[in-house]
Amino acid sequence: MEYTISTIAPIFIFPFMAFVVNAFFGRKLPRQGDWLSVGAIFASFLYTLRIFGDFIFNKFSTDYYVHKVFNWIDLSYGDQFFKIDLGIYIDNMTAIMLLMVTGVATLIHLFSTWYMKGDERYGKFFVYLSLFTSAMLGLVLADNLLLLFVFWEIMGFCSYSLIGFYYEKEEAGNASLKAFMTTRIGDVFLLLGILGIWSVVGNVNYVDIYAAISQGLFEGHTVMGISLASFAAFCVFMGTVGKSAQVPLQVWLPDAMMGPTPCSALIHAATMVAAGVYLSLRMYPLMELGEVTHIIAYVGAITAFLAATIALVQTDIKAVLAFSTISQLGYMVLGIGVGSYNAAFMHLITHAVFKACLFLSAGSVIHSTHTQEMPEMGGLRKKLPITFLAMLLCTLAIAGIPIFSGFVSKDRILGDALYWGLYAGQNKVHFIVPMLGFGGAFLTAFYMFRMMFLTFFGEPKDKEVYEHCHHEHFEFNRTLPLIILAALTLGVFYSGSLTGQGEIKIFPRAAQEWFKILVAAPEVKNFESYTKEKFDFADTREEKVWEKAHYHHQSGYAGVNPDNEEGIHHAHINGAVASVIIAFSGVLLAFFLYIRRLMSPDFFVNMLKPLHRLTTHRYYFDDFYIGILLKKGLLVFNNALAFLDMGIYDRIAIDGWAKVNNWIYRASKWFDDVIVDSIAVDGTGTAVNLFNLVLRVLQSGKIQFYFVVLIVVLSGYIWSLNFIS
Amino acid sequence: MLFLNVLFGVSAVLTIASSLLCVFTKNIMHACVYLLGALLGVAGLYMTLGADFVAVTQIMVYVGGIVILMLFAVMLTGGKEFVSKAQKLLNLVPLMGNKWTFLIASLASLVFAGVTVQLYFKLPEFFKTVDNTEFSSTVDELGKLLITDHLLAFELSSVLLLGALVGAAIIARPRKEEVK
Amino acid sequence: MISYGSYLLISAFLFVIGLIIMMARKNIVAILLGIEFILNSAALSFVTYSKFITKNLDGHIFALFIIVIAAAEAAVGLAIIIRFFQIKETIHIDEATELRN
Repeated sequence: MEYTISTIAPIFIFPFMAFVVNAFFGRKLPRQGDWLSVGAIFASFLYTLRIFGDFIFNKFSTDYYVHKVFNWIDLSYGDQFFKIDLGIYIDNMTAIMLLMVTGVATLIHLFSTWYMKGDERYGKFFVYLSLFTSAMLGLVLADNLLLLFVFWEIMGFCSYSLIGFYYEKEEAGNASLKAFMTTRIGDVFLLLGILGIWSVVGNVNYVDIYAAISQGLFEGHTVMGISLASFAAFCVFMGTVGKSAQVPLQVWLPDAMMGPTPCSALIHAATMVAAGVYLSLRMYPLMELGEVTHIIAYVGAITAFLAATIALVQTDIKAVLAFSTISQLGYMVLGIGVGSYNAAFMHLITHAVFKACLFLSAGSVIHSTHTQEMPEMGGLRKKLPITFLAMLLCTLAIAGIPIFSGFVSKDRILGDALYWGLYAGQNKVHFIVPMLGFGGAFLTAFYMFRMMFLTFFGEPKDKEVYEHCHHEHFEFNRTLPLIILAALTLGVFYSGSLTGQGEIKIFPRAAQEWFKILVAAPEVKNFESYTKEKFDFADTREEKVWEKAHYHHQSGYAGVNPDNEEGIHHAHINGAVASVIIAFSGVLLAFFLYIRRLMSPDFFVNMLKPLHRLTTHRYYFDDFYIGILLKKGLLVFNNALAFLDMGIYDRIAIDGWAKVNNWIYRASKWFDDVIVDSIAVDGTGTAVNLFNLVLRVLQSGKIQFYFVVLIVVLSGYIWSLNFIS
Repeated sequence: MLFLNVLFGVSAVLTIASSLLCVFTKNIMHACVYLLGALLGVAGLYMTLGADFVAVTQIMVYVGGIVILMLFAVMLTGGKEFVSKAQKLLNLVPLMGNKWTFLIASLASLVFAGVTVQLYFKLPEFFKTVDNTEFSSTVDELGKLLITDHLLAFELSSVLLLGALVGAAIIARPRKEEVK
Repeated sequence: MISYGSYLLISAFLFVIGLIIMMARKNIVAILLGIEFILNSAALSFVTYSKFITKNLDGHIFALFIIVIAAAEAAVGLAIIIRFFQIKETIHIDEATELRN
């Protein structure tokens, strides 16, 4: 396949053009232009399909990549590099990500046409949605951090706009502001990290950064006493923390559920929050070099566990899903931290699919019942059979039941974490990380099935809601996305076997585990001399035979010590068995509590009262931020600043300056009055007046008088000539 | 020779007398007629200098053209000296518009004439009489000169004449608003 | 009698006459008249010099061009006078004090 501007750029341009057209002419178009947005993203999907097919089915090589650039800014001088090459970088990871984004986005667009129908700002929703998808695709295609940052911010804006989509509600406005401001903290850090990298590398291309790492350019640079690599890696990771809602900046994501459900599915479950993880994956060599992987692992583990505990006590169906999203993102970050690169990315993809499906199902339920509170639902499976089925499959996937995608990806992360905690030859204290991970997995299985049981099983708790709910019929734009996404939760799509665990072989055709083979952490030494191609209308790349990838036993693992095969093996067997047991026990617990009612949930609530209070208050993060940081800290700080401004700066600097100015004014006034006015101006006037007295006589306006003067002067001249000669 | 002398004398007297009358007359119409006489006298002087073509041109252009033009102008604008409404104001301006004007102007002119004459006296053969009394027609040679050496000036003068003609027509034409 | 100097004297005389007319007269037509005198005196000088000094016909050519220019000048000048008269109802030179009405 040719890789040219005309085969790659449309992926980004179609949704963007849909955004432009809809933004300006959407109102005049039939159906407010939704068909344009859907068609554009579907066209992008088709283009992506070609790239995906080429990368995965045709080339099937770990090293295969396409990197095309054009020069944007070049201020290099001598050996001081300062330039920005804009361009695209596609490798296996990008190809998979592109397919995921376009595919999920297409289905969500389609679903939105049903969900948002009749909304007063129907067209506007698609405007934002198109802009968002184009930004996300641009981010995935971008070959450098700066371009990524640009799209990152556009996505942030779209997220802001869509969270506040129902801005008539005050909570929605506050939530959008909160999301924007919270992610802003991470963005500032990210920009700082980019600048740090720039100062060393002189460029922000991924491949340039990799090459710089392999050449050891980062060595010897320090910022405030810590090495620049650590600083930059930490700052970039803080970008991930903000965007992917990790502890301690996770507070915005639950509130973000104020937005319409399809936008939650697209932005706050499948793509934008995953973009943070994507960034960390791209910068993985830097994370390793900067030795921040421990921090990442801990942040991920804590996020995964804490969010899961909070999800236990939520009654809002979307809030449960929001916290489960945070938790799952925590697993991805945990995977990055423990070096489980491949599994983390795999979890990103699988999570995007099943979480999008979960949100869409939730949207379907909410749209039917007009409530988000689970205690008011119940017994809905008879009314909404297709939604129920789709949601069940996704819940099985997220709970980590074997043969579903969640098991395939999450258990590999947990296995790697276990290895990292137990065998990787480090302090055994780090064992707490896999323990938190397993605990989170248990809780995930429990709270997801709690949600299922409360929503779809049992007797209807609120008759009115139940009666009001219509029977679900097959509707093209409502049901099709659910069915497709639900079908994609089968693990077999992501790994050749149904489990993805090399150790537990149900279909032991390990060689078909394409995902595990093709995606690997970038080997920086491969990038020491790489080629950039001009971004053009013709494919300028050299013909090169790419080596077909072949199966390595642990190619997915890029952890601390790949030689310790025995340890890896043990860890994965134990991890897999443990997670299967944990998942089923979580499901069983939920079953006993909410279907069989062997025990009342209140028993646990009473037993763990302090903990319950903690979780219902979301660990007081919001209270801490708003109550203490903002009101006690920032407000006081603001007041102090205000005092500084009004009391000191105004008093001394401004008033003092005014006084000085007054003096200067008086001095210059005297100068002006005496010197300039009296002497210069009036003197000039007098002089002119004097000349005027003389010249006025000559300038009589009488032509003949001029003539006489002329004659006299001429005569005098000739007369004088006579004397001279 | 005699004819030449007589011609010179008549022409000189005619010129001087006409120009003097032209100065002292009150009537502008008369002044134009006296100008006619002076120009004819100058044409006679041209004859005595052997400049036959120039003399004929002088008579045709000046006498037949310019003087007639001036007479027309005088008749169109009123044929007498005109006393302006601002005459009193004019009297205040020194040396202008009263009897003293002539005196001062004459003095200035005399000074100038004196200067000129003094310059003339520097030439050695100032009062040398004409030796060469052979006359031949200059028309041939003038024609050749005009279309060889002075062709550019000749053509330019034709353009100048055309421009003057058109310009005069445009200037003298009444404006649109006045037509209304 | 017909000497070099006599022609020049007549020429100078004509020049002075023209000068006086130009300086003393208040009538614009009269001033134009004075200009004609001065031009004639110049042409007469040219022809005289052509006869006695250079002994070729360049002076004649000059005299011809002076006549041509005098004609053009008279035409334009008289047009201006007529125009002036239309506007001001007078041809007094001292009334011509404005560049535009």
